[in-house]
Amino acid sequence: MERTPEIFEKIERYLTNRLSPEELVDFENEIANNPKLQSEIETHKTLHNTLSDQETLLVKEKLIKVSKEVKKEESSFVKSIFSSPLKIAATIIMLLGISAFLWNTLDSTEELRDLYVAHYTPFPAEDITRGQANTTLQNIMDHYNKGAYEKVITTLEKNTNLIDQNELSVYLGISYLNTSQEQKAILQFERVSEKNRHHEASRWYLSLTYLKLNDTQRTIKILEEIIKYNGVYKNNAARLLRALNE
Amino acid sequence: MSNIDEQNIIKGIVAGDEAVFKAFYKKNRKYIRQYVLKNSGNEDDVEDVFQDAFVFVYQKLKAGSLELRSPLSTYFYGVSKNIWRNRLRKNRRLVVTEELSDTTEIIEASIVKEIEDREREHVYRKHFVNLSGACRQVLQLLFEGRSMKEIAEITGYAEGYTRKKKFECKKHLIEMIEQDPIYQELKTTSENK
Repeated sequence: MERTPEIFEKIERYLTNRLSPEELVDFENEIANNPKLQSEIETHKTLHNTLSDQETLLVKEKLIKVSKEVKKEESSFVKSIFSSPLKIAATIIMLLGISAFLWNTLDSTEELRDLYVAHYTPFPAEDITRGQANTTLQNIMDHYNKGAYEKVITTLEKNTNLIDQNELSVYLGISYLNTSQEQKAILQFERVSEKNRHHEASRWYLSLTYLKLNDTQRTIKILEEIIKYNGVYKNNAARLLRALNE
Repeated sequence: MSNIDEQNIIKGIVAGDEAVFKAFYKKNRKYIRQYVLKNSGNEDDVEDVFQDAFVFVYQKLKAGSLELRSPLSTYFYGVSKNIWRNRLRKNRRLVVTEELSDTTEIIEASIVKEIEDREREHVYRKHFVNLSGACRQVLQLLFEGRSMKEIAEITGYAEGYTRKKKFECKKHLIEMIEQDPIYQELKTTSENK
């Protein structure tokens, strides 16, 4: 069966119930007598049903990105070790001499990553758009709720005035944190003032950012501050600090 | 891993948290890789199986229809194994060597059937994400149920051009899907039933 714009339009109108009663009768007769058309309609139907689920598509896209990032990290690690003959020699000596240390370090990096995953939960989105007719703000929060962090970043970077007006630094920081832009996340969390209602939350996420960067010294320092502050993140901070000290 | 850690991972997956995805990928890919490579697969197969199993688990978690009786990783290995076994069986490529060590998650027969039914969806998604940005935008709006006029307004294209673009992108997508070996195997299997 030849695929033409006309047949595609007709199938789309058929699948969305937009054919007139007369057109529907004619088209159903045609379908009944044409197995290839039946098969084509089935393909379009599955296509529409499967690909209208944007959340699942987004998960797939994120996985592809994650896979590329991990492979890049792995290859840059290998390249950094084997980039010159001298380095190869040095590496062999280093591997022979301090292999135990290296394995311990790799193990501890893995453990820190596990700790980060175990303690990180997304900061809950508040209904900050209440009573406002700001669709940009609404879109930002919708993207944030769906975990579409890159869209949050793009929109906020274009509308920087919204960040301070609506105390969105913590949301932007978390979006950076989830897209492997830790240094930018740190800047956002650091700029949340003590008067801001998200101050304690931003300190908590700042400690997690340093944890993700394997900077345990800074993580511990901030956790101790949070415990001293004695707010809602105290228990989380105490649990993480205990785990780090174990 | 404690129950709290497991719950956080599940929450992170459902929320689409990239950091959790990354940690889960790093931790579990090696096991899937080992299994697929030992059973006639290549690196591309490893990626496909991992992604399709993850999407399957994500959808189950999101729908709240997953009752875990073992750790999430073990369930994930079970799903991955079933996906790869199905593909091998359909391809008649080779007999599977049972390897995935001590991960003895028993996947219920109904889930095995569901995994098989979802194969077609995986093929559709795989090719959709490979389309150009412009094609994806037009088709995504179409699948959302937007009219040509709305799509033209959003994309900034003229309405006539939007129709042409939509047709070309959709046709190209269908052709890529039809050329996919998994799709062809699925088609042959359903025609032989």
